[in-house]
Amino acid sequence: MQAVMAFENAPPFAAPLRFFLTAPLFAVLAGLLIAFEGPDLFASRWTPGALAATHLLTVCFMLQVMLGALIQIMPVFTGANLKRPLAVARIVHVGLSAGALLLASGFYSGIPGLLSSAALVLALTVLLFLAATVLALSGVPSTSPTIRGLKLALLGLAGVVGLGVLMALALAYGWALPLAALADLHAGWGLGGWAGVLLAAMAYVVVPMFQLTPGYPMRASWWFPVAMLGMLLLWSAAVLAEWPWLVRLSQFAAAVAGMAFAGLTLRLQAKRRRARADATYRYWQLGLSASIVALLMLASAALWPDAVGVEGWTLVFGVLLVAGGFLPFIAGMLYKIVPFLAWLHLQECGKAKVPAPAMNKLLPDVNTRRQMLAYAAALLLLLATVPFAGWLARPAGVVFAVANGWLWWNLASAIRRYRQAEIDISRKLAAK
Amino acid sequence: MTTIRSYMTDDHRHCDDLFAEAEQAVGKGNLDLAQATFGHFHSAVLAHFNTEETTLFPTFEAKTGMTMGPTQVMRMEHGQMRALMEEAADALKAGKTEDYLGLADTLLIMVQQHNMKEENMLYPMCDQHLSAELPAILERLETELHEE
Repeated sequence: MQAVMAFENAPPFAAPLRFFLTAPLFAVLAGLLIAFEGPDLFASRWTPGALAATHLLTVCFMLQVMLGALIQIMPVFTGANLKRPLAVARIVHVGLSAGALLLASGFYSGIPGLLSSAALVLALTVLLFLAATVLALSGVPSTSPTIRGLKLALLGLAGVVGLGVLMALALAYGWALPLAALADLHAGWGLGGWAGVLLAAMAYVVVPMFQLTPGYPMRASWWFPVAMLGMLLLWSAAVLAEWPWLVRLSQFAAAVAGMAFAGLTLRLQAKRRRARADATYRYWQLGLSASIVALLMLASAALWPDAVGVEGWTLVFGVLLVAGGFLPFIAGMLYKIVPFLAWLHLQECGKAKVPAPAMNKLLPDVNTRRQMLAYAAALLLLLATVPFAGWLARPAGVVFAVANGWLWWNLASAIRRYRQAEIDISRKLAAK
Repeated sequence: MTTIRSYMTDDHRHCDDLFAEAEQAVGKGNLDLAQATFGHFHSAVLAHFNTEETTLFPTFEAKTGMTMGPTQVMRMEHGQMRALMEEAADALKAGKTEDYLGLADTLLIMVQQHNMKEENMLYPMCDQHLSAELPAILERLETELHEE
């Protein structure tokens, strides 16, 4: 009985928590790297520093949280029963952290051995995760857009990691591959096929339920993941066939699909029925707006390829989509997931006799709102750094590191209060 | 065709609407209205829990023999939500809006993840196992939900 198992097998708090508490530290590291390298990092998207910082954010931060969250919520969202979640979490966490650090240092130093070992470690880690999730999802029919989206996102994950491993090995062993075209495609699979589709699949559920908005239109939600994956397959075929016009056409269509999703989500959120705008909601608005601007840039560049020649175009696009789009969604969700899971576990400790402190006692709103403002300031500085790298690169790196360090501090403080509450509750229970 | 899943899911959405009304009243600073609307929400949710615990779950358990499975987890979560609603009602009565909003946020997430499990797993299982009894069960659910 698959469904019954999923009810009982909610993974222990320790399974996802390790991912959530280490991920922000890697974003701090990215900020420090920017501060250390200074203006040189912003010379192009291909500088060793830029490649290292990008992967610290995408693999060490984004992928880390996404996999941790999936281990936690897959049973609730899909009814799939992940076998031995704690063991999977432990291995995936160590593999991802080690692999991503190897990758970032490989890019930064240019040492081939680091790149090839990163490729090996990341490939094995993601394969293990995919094996565990595909096994869990194999008996689950796609009865909702979320379940289908999740399954397609896993295909996107396989795509981005497969291409990434191929390129890391090509760099390490000097294989002759069209690296520029493959790097664009790799980013497309990662940000569109994996992160974008996963975000949509989650948004279909979390936006209406937790922000009390109207639901996403059924037909569009079924088709968005399919359209995105379809465009990426087309893009891949175009790279293989060396048809630049088809590459641009598929980029344009993927950008339009992404903008439609983000625009629709903004419209739904405008109809939300919650009493106040908390940090999570503000983070989503920031992420959606920045993504729309980034995707407009992608669509324009597909129509007028010369735009990419404008100085700093690709860097602004990358900062807007990764630091402006995806990171805010993730921070916003962490601010709900971590205190809720903490509350849930305290509730279980209290055995219905001692009440658990509510989420806002574990993580006060005022702390999260201030951190969100600091992050928004860091993002603006990073964007301004592209044209004014000489002056701004180092301060922008420092502010970015501080804002992400603050995110870590907020989450770690929630866990500290959780541990304290756990002790208090067991004392009270013992006294009863 | 009405199924257990569609009928009970509609009732979840009805409770969501009442929750939103209460929160909006708090947001506008109208505490009297907030108390009244939270009261409607509270009794609608309790009626929903009661009909599940007295009619739907026992019928499902009798038919499938699964007494320690999903229904047990759902009963436990009902207990957690009952306690949260009591706390929220007390906070509202004492005029502690900050406390209320914190409890309401926790309650909303708790309720929604609970609803998700019921709507995606338990109700479809009920529809599957109780197809013969469906009209009679729906009638009883309807009466029990609208008793007050």
